[in-house]
Amino acid sequence: MSNGALQVARTGLDAQNTKMRVIANNLANVNTTGFKRDRASFETLAYQQRIMPGAQSDAQNEYATGLALGTGVQVAGTMKIDTQGTLQPTGNAFDLAIEGAGYFQIEMADGTTAYTRAGNFARNGEGQLVTQEGMPLIPSIQVPEGATNITIGADGTVSATLAGEAEATELGKIETANFTNPAGLRSIGSNLLVETGSSGAPIVGAAGEAGRGTLRQGSLEGSNVNIVEELVDMIETQRAYEVNSKMIQATDEMLQFANQQL
Amino acid sequence: MDKMVHTSLRAMQGIMDRQQAIAHNMANADTTGFRAEIVTAQALYLAGEGLDSRATTNEVTLGADMNPGTLKSTGRPLDIAINGDALLAVQAPDGSEAYTRRGDLMISESGLLTTADGYPVMSDGGPITLPAADQVSISADGAIAIIPPGGDPNQPQQVARLKLASPAGSDIVKQNDALFHVRNGGVLPSDPDAKVTVGALESSNVNMTQALVDMIEASRAWETQVKLLTTAQQLDDSGASIMQLPS
Repeated sequence: MSNGALQVARTGLDAQNTKMRVIANNLANVNTTGFKRDRASFETLAYQQRIMPGAQSDAQNEYATGLALGTGVQVAGTMKIDTQGTLQPTGNAFDLAIEGAGYFQIEMADGTTAYTRAGNFARNGEGQLVTQEGMPLIPSIQVPEGATNITIGADGTVSATLAGEAEATELGKIETANFTNPAGLRSIGSNLLVETGSSGAPIVGAAGEAGRGTLRQGSLEGSNVNIVEELVDMIETQRAYEVNSKMIQATDEMLQFANQQL
Repeated sequence: MDKMVHTSLRAMQGIMDRQQAIAHNMANADTTGFRAEIVTAQALYLAGEGLDSRATTNEVTLGADMNPGTLKSTGRPLDIAINGDALLAVQAPDGSEAYTRRGDLMISESGLLTTADGYPVMSDGGPITLPAADQVSISADGAIAIIPPGGDPNQPQQVARLKLASPAGSDIVKQNDALFHVRNGGVLPSDPDAKVTVGALESSNVNMTQALVDMIEASRAWETQVKLLTTAQQLDDSGASIMQLPS
């Protein structure tokens, strides 16, 4: 036996449960560098037309309005909310934050490119700029041993004073990538995102040009999760969950009452 | 057994349908731009010979509650909340023009502007496709401006305007795709004065307290009908016992 009200309330519980998971993930990443919060968006499920408006109610009369019953809700998807996170000054020469749109390009172990907003880079054994997981930045930047006064300009130009030289030498230029629909990028964990059909192809170029944000050395972009907002969402979700479970309880009691009395 | 059981049964079916409608409203208490369903019972008189004592009930959808939902600020540039009673025109799966209150817009791979539930958003001239752009912004009158790749950030170019339609004087009804359509087909006129709030979304207008009260009311009404059924059973029993031959 399938009961409409019970099934509809179940879809509500499912959807709220998924939303809670998204909120939990946002809250867990409140201190993750460059993290962008997700938002679960709900959509109404299709309606069932039990009685068509205009159908015959008897030989002479027609129903003026029909009976259309909804069948609940589902999660349509999650959306990345691409607002800027707060910039936190760190003073570390290899910490970079992007002010505005754009992503750093990272070469993954399999040779493909991933994108990230987390600019907490470090120098590896060969002097190459890499992420905390050791994946190299694209284009590759080599910082020789003994280089001092490493500066990274707003446009991504990396320069340093090499050992025994008085003048600064340009070591390379960090390029960032932008997308037509950055919300379409897919998270693969470790702060990395990959291109999908929905995000479109990357538009690569110097930072600060063509809508790409400028770089700021010595700062990191914090997570854009707002704890208060997430907590309010969490309470809302919890209440919505409760009310749906109340509906299951009420419908259950109705059926129970009929079963006992009849 | 008399006809009373059938009258009660019909009422019980109706109450369960109403409970489903309330459950649907509750389930969508968090759906952006959702409009609550109003379901009510109608008496259906069965005319015939004898006393017209019977009127079975019949649940009908009166329509959607068009009161505004609360605005929630999100700060996302493609989130819009429609002010007043205007509706955003979208393309329904069957290709016709339909209307919605939800304004969490997205740009698809091909540049098509859609709502988060996947319906293409319409301008007066059809679905909106945006060219590649560095930045897309929506202004308060629904105009969409872009900064073309490499363009001057201070000189946005207007590419389209969302069709914000006025439902005033038209009969709109929610159809099976959960979108509003003009009853018996047709389109709503574009409202040049309609305004949107950018960076905010309109929440569902389901009133939770009302929904809970309705739910309890429906539960009690159901119990009353069950009692009527047991009463009918008792009446039938005592009638049968009178007819019984003394043994």
